[in-house]
Amino acid sequence: MAVKFYKEPELENSIMFCGWPGIGNIGILAIDTLKGLLRAQEFGEIEPWDFFDPYSVSIEKGLLKSLEFPSNKFYFQRIKDRDLLFFIGQQQPSELGTRYAQGQKAYQMANLVLDVAEKFGCRRVYTSGAAVTKIHHTAKPRVWAVPNNQNLAKEIKQYQNTILMSEIEGRGDQGAITGLNGLLLGVARKRGLEAVCLMGEIPYYLQAAPWPYPKASKSVLEVITGILGLKVDLSAMEELGQKIEQQIEDFLESLYNTEAIPPEVRDEIEKLRYIEPTELGPITEEEQKKIMEHIDELFDQGGRTDERHL
Amino acid sequence: MKDIFKFSQQPKFENPSLIVGWNKDAGQLSPRVIEYLNKKINGRSFCDIEPVDFFSLVGVAVEKDIAQFPEGKFYYCEKSDLVIFKGSEPEFERYRFLDAVSDLAQHHCRIKHLYTINSTISSIAHTNSRKIFAVFNKTEFQKELRGYDLEDMNWQGTPAISSYLLWVAQRKDIPGVSLWTQIPFYLAAGEDFQAIKQTLSFLDNRFNLELDLKDMDEQTQSQNAKIDQLRQEDTEINRCIGALESGLSLSEEEQLGLIKAVSEFLEFGKS
Repeated sequence: MAVKFYKEPELENSIMFCGWPGIGNIGILAIDTLKGLLRAQEFGEIEPWDFFDPYSVSIEKGLLKSLEFPSNKFYFQRIKDRDLLFFIGQQQPSELGTRYAQGQKAYQMANLVLDVAEKFGCRRVYTSGAAVTKIHHTAKPRVWAVPNNQNLAKEIKQYQNTILMSEIEGRGDQGAITGLNGLLLGVARKRGLEAVCLMGEIPYYLQAAPWPYPKASKSVLEVITGILGLKVDLSAMEELGQKIEQQIEDFLESLYNTEAIPPEVRDEIEKLRYIEPTELGPITEEEQKKIMEHIDELFDQGGRTDERHL
Repeated sequence: MKDIFKFSQQPKFENPSLIVGWNKDAGQLSPRVIEYLNKKINGRSFCDIEPVDFFSLVGVAVEKDIAQFPEGKFYYCEKSDLVIFKGSEPEFERYRFLDAVSDLAQHHCRIKHLYTINSTISSIAHTNSRKIFAVFNKTEFQKELRGYDLEDMNWQGTPAISSYLLWVAQRKDIPGVSLWTQIPFYLAAGEDFQAIKQTLSFLDNRFNLELDLKDMDEQTQSQNAKIDQLRQEDTEINRCIGALESGLSLSEEEQLGLIKAVSEFLEFGKS
């Protein structure tokens, strides 16, 4: 179980951004896009074989050429005298065959990531994921922010289009963050390292959809670039967001037309089209159940092939 | 390593090769080759892998009326200087499992070469000869085995446990080869004696084992005679097998029909 470094950049007071696959691939799309826009350089990786099984082998003319594992790579870049670190993981480690990181392996990986963060002078870590909520896919997603200490909450209130758990109608100040996004926050807290999870809102009826949800990734990116005081061109993500939105419209239209989902579920979804996100409360258990029964099932039939390729 | 392995004996190794077989394989090729070989060369078990880290152990699976339990056993035959490993594919910690197996083979047994035994399901007739495809982890070893009638494999896709082991061995500088013997798809649920014999013949030649494989020939002939009887009774099955013999491919429906008919006739799963 090791981290391999190709080079050891001298960094100070760096900030680390972490992205993994998850619902709508919101986090990984945001962080990977930022990494690409800033042309961050790869400098190390977590050796994958202790965490993941290989997913592809290449054999040519009777010779084993390569075995491919999900990658877990570190990148760095200096922007405006600020050192930035990135960690991009293609898969979350899990011992129990679940989609999200849990168990000893997940804890080990969270620690390895933070070992690297601390080795390179990191003072704060940002993770990113999805906030499943009652929002329509045509609305601009907000960003839910969860810090790992009270002092950060005040700072977060200054971020644009961002809310704390306590500001969400009907939720109180409670919640849970599954997978590595949550685990990393906790392990960082244990180490006394500041960390914030930024979660872009995604409509609850799309939580099992096989597509990415770039609108939410864009909201997350806007918050991050605001924090860093950067101006980056997000037009490609905007375009992708519009394309996916049209795809969702077409998909729902086909479900309505073929009556693949009951009228009451259609009405629930359509009602959201005209409501401001701020007026919406959290998803109730009953709503969750309805979605699981109808729409999630439809998505499951199509498989979830997007995540590995991102 | 001592936590994973439980030694029952401490044989003295010369400079053996390691042959690895898995308990589950199409046409029962891998387990049957290993069992046959062990019996013929009198392989003695000397080490077990403790299953607790690698298998769920929530109970036991029952297959064909018999309670099963995951195993991983090393055998050694001093006369032929062969180490044999027969095991269940690990459910968890696959890298640690393969790393441990190859570590023991390299540092304790001081093996020179690794061989893994596997089948590959093919669209061939049972009357066709079986090719053995090979995947090497070193060019030098590939050159060394030229002349053994092995076919070069080309493949890109999900790796089997043997490919994973071959890769682990490559990282440890152990020359290795995965052998993939063809199995007609309609014998995959049962046993393919001809493929088992073909694989054993390769090992016999390679290691000068002087195996008497007459019983394998008899079992092949007996199975072929039964399939001939089915062909006489069922013209559609005869046509499908005839098409395969001529190198033609079958539709999915025809393939499923052939699998069902042969499996029922040979009573796969009942023995």
